Amino acid sequence: MLKLLKDIYERRYKTLMIFSFAILILALVQIGVQYYTTGDFINRGVTLKGGSTITITETAIDSNDLKSFLKEKFPKADISVRTVTSAGKVVNIAVDSDAQETEEINNLLSAIIQKESLTKEDYSVEVMGSSLGQSFFKQTITAIIAAFLLMAIVVLIYFRKVVPAFAVVLCAFSDITVSLAIFNLTGIKLSTAGVAAFLMLVGYSVDTDMVLSTRMLRRKEGPVMERVYSSIKTGLTMTTTTLVAVIVALIFVQSEVIKQIMLILLIGLLVDVVMTYIQNVGVIRLYLDRVEKKGKIQAA
Amino acid sequence: MKTKIKKIFTHWRVIILLLFVIFSLVAIQPHFSNQGAAIRNVVQNSSASLARIENPSPKLTPLAKERIIALDGKKVLSAADYYDLITKVQENDTINVQTNKRSYSLLATANDLGRVDLGLKVYDAPTSNLRKGLDLEGGTRVLLKPTEEISQEDFDSILDNLRERLNVYGLSDIVVRPASDLAGDNFILIEIAGITEEEIKELLAKQGKFEAKIGNETVFLGGKKDITYVCRSADCSGIDPRKGCAKSSRGYSCGFFFSISLSPEAAERQAQATKDLDTQNEDGGCFLSESMYLYLDDKEVDSLRIGCELKGSASTSIQISGGGSGTTQQEAVAVALQNMKKLQTVLITGSLPVKLDVVKLDTISPSFGKEFMSNVALIAVLALGAVALVVSIRYRRAGVVIPMVLTLVTEMTMLLGFAALVGWNLDLAAIAGIIVAVGTGVDHLIIIADEAMKGAAVVYDWKTKIKNAMFIVMGAYFTVLSGMLPLLWAGAGLLKGFALTTIAGFSFGVLIARPAYAVVIEILMRESN
Repeated sequence: MLKLLKDIYERRYKTLMIFSFAILILALVQIGVQYYTTGDFINRGVTLKGGSTITITETAIDSNDLKSFLKEKFPKADISVRTVTSAGKVVNIAVDSDAQETEEINNLLSAIIQKESLTKEDYSVEVMGSSLGQSFFKQTITAIIAAFLLMAIVVLIYFRKVVPAFAVVLCAFSDITVSLAIFNLTGIKLSTAGVAAFLMLVGYSVDTDMVLSTRMLRRKEGPVMERVYSSIKTGLTMTTTTLVAVIVALIFVQSEVIKQIMLILLIGLLVDVVMTYIQNVGVIRLYLDRVEKKGKIQAA
Repeated sequence: MKTKIKKIFTHWRVIILLLFVIFSLVAIQPHFSNQGAAIRNVVQNSSASLARIENPSPKLTPLAKERIIALDGKKVLSAADYYDLITKVQENDTINVQTNKRSYSLLATANDLGRVDLGLKVYDAPTSNLRKGLDLEGGTRVLLKPTEEISQEDFDSILDNLRERLNVYGLSDIVVRPASDLAGDNFILIEIAGITEEEIKELLAKQGKFEAKIGNETVFLGGKKDITYVCRSADCSGIDPRKGCAKSSRGYSCGFFFSISLSPEAAERQAQATKDLDTQNEDGGCFLSESMYLYLDDKEVDSLRIGCELKGSASTSIQISGGGSGTTQQEAVAVALQNMKKLQTVLITGSLPVKLDVVKLDTISPSFGKEFMSNVALIAVLALGAVALVVSIRYRRAGVVIPMVLTLVTEMTMLLGFAALVGWNLDLAAIAGIIVAVGTGVDHLIIIADEAMKGAAVVYDWKTKIKNAMFIVMGAYFTVLSGMLPLLWAGAGLLKGFALTTIAGFSFGVLIARPAYAVVIEILMRESN
């Protein structure tokens, strides 16, 4: 069985590469569809589009009950109630709404306080003005693009060849795009912390790509595939350790912010494995084949 | 084995690492057994300030803050203890407050709401020099934006003004700093730790333009230029003894008063404005034909009749009065005194050059923070354990695994030490940055270990092996660095804490901890090859 897989991996790398590109295209399609149907290519949470979040620590609350009560009382507001769990237990209840003005928020807050008999210690309020949320979002997109550009330049300087730089950037781009599409499918709303998580993905993606590219391109000992396998060994250890830490955090952490970061990292790391060892390997192998062919033609 | 260990600890890279770690521990100064209630603020003119308890300077490190350890001989182990014991104190009792510095004798007085309040705001004593941000300690974070374009000078004066307003109001543990985003907009970020009252928002966003007019002429404005002194002590401010409190249609209303002193110029203007007015004799006494109207943010807040003796006289002493109402007398008193305090603050600090919009407001209850901290600590330990497990399975050599785990711990320590030294507030963003730095730390250590373990089949010498590994590490370092730099400015610095901790953690790791690990691995593995 293993030999069969190894065979496919070594001989049919071009097919596998097409498969990875297919995933990328599917992801782009998902994002496109999302854009057409909702007007936005991701689900933006309160911190990215403006509004407020009231987080309640009193867990003996029926969130559905609270939601219908609030929707009835404030029919025009966009309100959603969700639960935050840790290790299987509910630890927080969060009420998101588009209320930004103090008065609106206070009305909402007093309705909740009254209904559930809360005290000051039981809740926290976070308000984000919509203009700030929007501008923040726009600026992080700019930051991500800047990060990509700088990354390409650094890799270019390191390898002095365009192909590896292109491969690393493509891999990071694929990582983020596919992770974004998968995240969209979960229906969770993205927050500012989530945006930071996507940037972290860039860092992790680069790590594994650099190991791969360096070993494939700058080392000359042994056949290429052997070097690829040694990179896989190193890379998978790296990814596994991070995955393990991320899963532990995902299960036990109580903070929603960190949960979202961990979830995005989890998705991103898994996607990175596919993209690095199928897509990136494929691109570099194509390049090496072409170099070899050129060499052979010249020698002949 | 002994020679190997000696070699390790005498290598300069390891020595540097150890120095940094020791330095970090000194900066953090963990004091896990610290108990008591640390003093955050001393309210002005309270029994505490009269007993000469010092208001802690914001520049003090957390561990240097004075801690209350006993009240009248009863032990105070936490902030909850303090507030609990206070409820059992009677008004006019003399209490002995013992801190870790000395003993104070205080007279218990009742505050505006009739409860005993010594004028001390306390919080659980810090166990290290790490400053906890709002997400961990609870408090209020406000992001303000000027409604119009203003010059840099005006912007700076707004910052000073806000700081002063908050200080005058009795808050010292505050952060007021400018923030900007990539679009070039300027914001003001204010963070106030501890539970705060709703007035903070009012206090900060109101422009606070105060004017006193006689007829149509402005006689004086708020601020030090015109007003040289504002009385806040009990002998010339408080509930007006002549008006007191009275029942009104909707409950009660109470009147307050306080005296102020004008500068000679303002007094002269007053003299000019009054010298041509007529006098009118009424049953209350003799008054001038025009009253003095007080405006706050263009709204009339009070009008004062001017006594005849002030006609044409450059009197520098004036009494300001106003009121407040509530459903009960107690509430009316509280509201009146609150209004008085607001007016006093505005008169002392003057007005802001432009109106500010509240763009973002977070209030975080402290109980959130406490649970969060212990949750994070638990996860850090679990995650470290899980990572150690995976690495042990892969490498099966203690010589590789143990230094790896230790190196990770040193990276975390150095990062926290740096945060303590620089006085960073650790908040969620910072913690996320720590996660990233440590996460990539593991990755790079694995890269180094793998390169080092390439056995006899490869004829590379150690220098080249380590060079190869560090090449990859440095490449990743520069790439991530360039990714984080734009974040320092994006979005009014909301992710600044994250970018900074990531960059700092990465730098400490790549420049100090990871090369040291490479050295350790080399020494441990070399002779066994």
